[in-house]
Amino acid sequence: MDGKSKLRQWLNRKMKIEMSDKRVLIGIFLCTDCHRNVILGSCLEYLKFEECGEKEEPRSLGLAMVPGHHIVSIHVSY
Amino acid sequence: MFGLFEAMSAIEMMDPKMDAGMVCNRDRKVLNFEQSVEEGKLKIKNLTSEEKIGIIDDTFSCLVTWLEGHSLAQTVFTNLYLHKPLAIEDKCLRSFSLIILKLVEIIRDFVYRGNVFEEEDFQPAFLYPFAMPCTITDSKACGMIRDVEEEMQKKVKSYQRTLNSLNKSRPEELMKTSDNNNKFSCDLAEQKEHQLNLALFARLKFSRLFYQSLIILKKETTAKINVANSTSGHWVEDADKCLQQCSETISIWQQTLSMGIKPEPSSAPTSEYRADYPTIMGFEPLINQRFLPPTFPRYTKMKSRKEAIEYMEHLVSRIRHVCKIFDHIPFQMALDFFTEFSKSSSPPSCVLSRSLLQVLYLPNGIAPLSDLIREDVRNFIKPPSLYQKPSILTNHPEAREVVDIFFERCTRPMSYLLQINGHNRARQRDKLALVLEELATIQEEADKLDSYLNTLSLKMDIPSSHLGYFSAWVLYHILRVMIQYLLSGFELELYSTHEYPYIFWYLYEFLYSWMASTLYRAKSFIAEQDAISELRNKSVNKKVKSKKRKQKPHEREWTLNSAFQQLCGGYYKTVSAFRLEGKLKTPWSSASKEQLRYEHRFMPFLVIAAPPPVPYSQYREAVERDKCGDVKETIAELYATACKCFHRAKETFESSGFCFKIDL
Repeated sequence: MDGKSKLRQWLNRKMKIEMSDKRVLIGIFLCTDCHRNVILGSCLEYLKFEECGEKEEPRSLGLAMVPGHHIVSIHVSY
Repeated sequence: MFGLFEAMSAIEMMDPKMDAGMVCNRDRKVLNFEQSVEEGKLKIKNLTSEEKIGIIDDTFSCLVTWLEGHSLAQTVFTNLYLHKPLAIEDKCLRSFSLIILKLVEIIRDFVYRGNVFEEEDFQPAFLYPFAMPCTITDSKACGMIRDVEEEMQKKVKSYQRTLNSLNKSRPEELMKTSDNNNKFSCDLAEQKEHQLNLALFARLKFSRLFYQSLIILKKETTAKINVANSTSGHWVEDADKCLQQCSETISIWQQTLSMGIKPEPSSAPTSEYRADYPTIMGFEPLINQRFLPPTFPRYTKMKSRKEAIEYMEHLVSRIRHVCKIFDHIPFQMALDFFTEFSKSSSPPSCVLSRSLLQVLYLPNGIAPLSDLIREDVRNFIKPPSLYQKPSILTNHPEAREVVDIFFERCTRPMSYLLQINGHNRARQRDKLALVLEELATIQEEADKLDSYLNTLSLKMDIPSSHLGYFSAWVLYHILRVMIQYLLSGFELELYSTHEYPYIFWYLYEFLYSWMASTLYRAKSFIAEQDAISELRNKSVNKKVKSKKRKQKPHEREWTLNSAFQQLCGGYYKTVSAFRLEGKLKTPWSSASKEQLRYEHRFMPFLVIAAPPPVPYSQYREAVERDKCGDVKETIAELYATACKCFHRAKETFESSGFCFKIDL
């Protein structure tokens, strides 16, 4: 599968992004560009995801742009 | 996927300006109440007096900053003590924290009920995770703080007593110079402690009294249906007494302002400069960062302690002033009171005092206002249907009902007028334009009512006219609003100088002259009605009537109105001359653009039937008419008339005893 169709498959799916300051964002994958920037819709921010998981009270951010160089890892749920 | 609006409110992660979560994550950990106590950064007992004074003063700074329109989360609730007041072991600080929470609650209640705030005045509180201490009643909170207060007072008094007794024995003591030094240093420490106690006592007393006065006002405004039928009296006095005592404690507070602990500069985070750091113990500006919506001001600049106390001082005197509304119950007086209060500019009114005024005058809905309005119409023009006895209404239930319905309809725009004067100055203008639409419909109804009553009164035993009574009253209010609307443009600096000629022209030629004729009509109608009623009951007591005659209705307003008219006339002639001389430049050459501006400025007046809107062509004609041959001659002529106008205005103002208050 080439990259293009893989990305297309991810569209509108729930994505978890870990950022360089250890925060975790969970939202709907809406778009990306050549700089690896990602835009998540209805995004939620978790401060201590590793310890508490999704049980922790998240902060609602709405639409959020995550700069590519701050992304440490991404997970997509099918 | 997402629209423009969503895209505009999107945030970029890891951008210090947008990402609120990033700020709390870096630098250092933000500790909440329990964590701070555990780490020993927050004392909950054995606080020194200096610490308590500092915390109290900074809490008031927060409170004042909140009242100036910032969010609760970024001001008052940066004080960690307020998150868990019941966990504080120190009695003084615990009772103070409770009082502050109660104050926040009651202020918020007043502002919501007053309903005259905009986003720039007051932040509607969204859900905060901290519950207000509802379990503690008002009286219990007051009792708690009073206990501490009395303890302080005891200390203060006992020191004063020992001081007095010391003073008596002083001469002997002065003789023994040897051990005097020792005693003196001991005295100094005692004296300092006394000052601290006094300072703390004044602050606690102020907080309690301020809260108590608001409780009194709240109780009465929720219980009574309307000011008109409330017996007013003692409870206003009670509130006023509390407030007066409040202002008495303020001077001690001001003198001891430097006593509280101050933040140490070293405790500021090093990475970036923020105006809200450093803080003293108990304050954490970032504590609520995560509860704020994503796009929110990153930090709030707090008022200084000095500014805060000045604000509180003015606030107290403003609330005392607002309570005077009970001496101004009749509608006309109340409306004047509202307008004057809104105008007072130094210091400007605040959201709390403005809301209080609304709540005090119109506590529960507007229904009984119709009686006040009926009374107002009666006083304004004495319509035979309301004034004469027996009147057309006496034997005519249908007519009575029609009149009742009319007053019922009037309550909406009239209460709206009061409400507009409660809003901040900048917001009033648009609302005045809106109320004109409502007044226009009332005007139509007033005309119909007049002609209906006229047909009835012509059929009476003594036929008389009933034309132009109710409509004159509505016209009066419409003109008031129109004048207020045009004048507010000057206050808000909306007009550019080249617009002045037609604004002044409109005021001078139309609004003020219509007002003059309306007041004149009211005056003569009243005289007519008085004459009729005198004829009718000639046999009855004569003394009463001769007394009544002495008061001339609308005299003062009429004089002032004509003075303002002359003033505007003077300005109009002057700016017209300026324009001809080329001193007032117009930024365009063709007249059509001026017409566009003209029509825009007077647009809200289009809905009104009387006075009819004046078209631009009429203004051009007036300008042409002023030109008499030579330009130089015209200019000289204009200046001469302006001079006359100003002179007449001066004379009229002086004759009416009107004094100018100039705010510098």
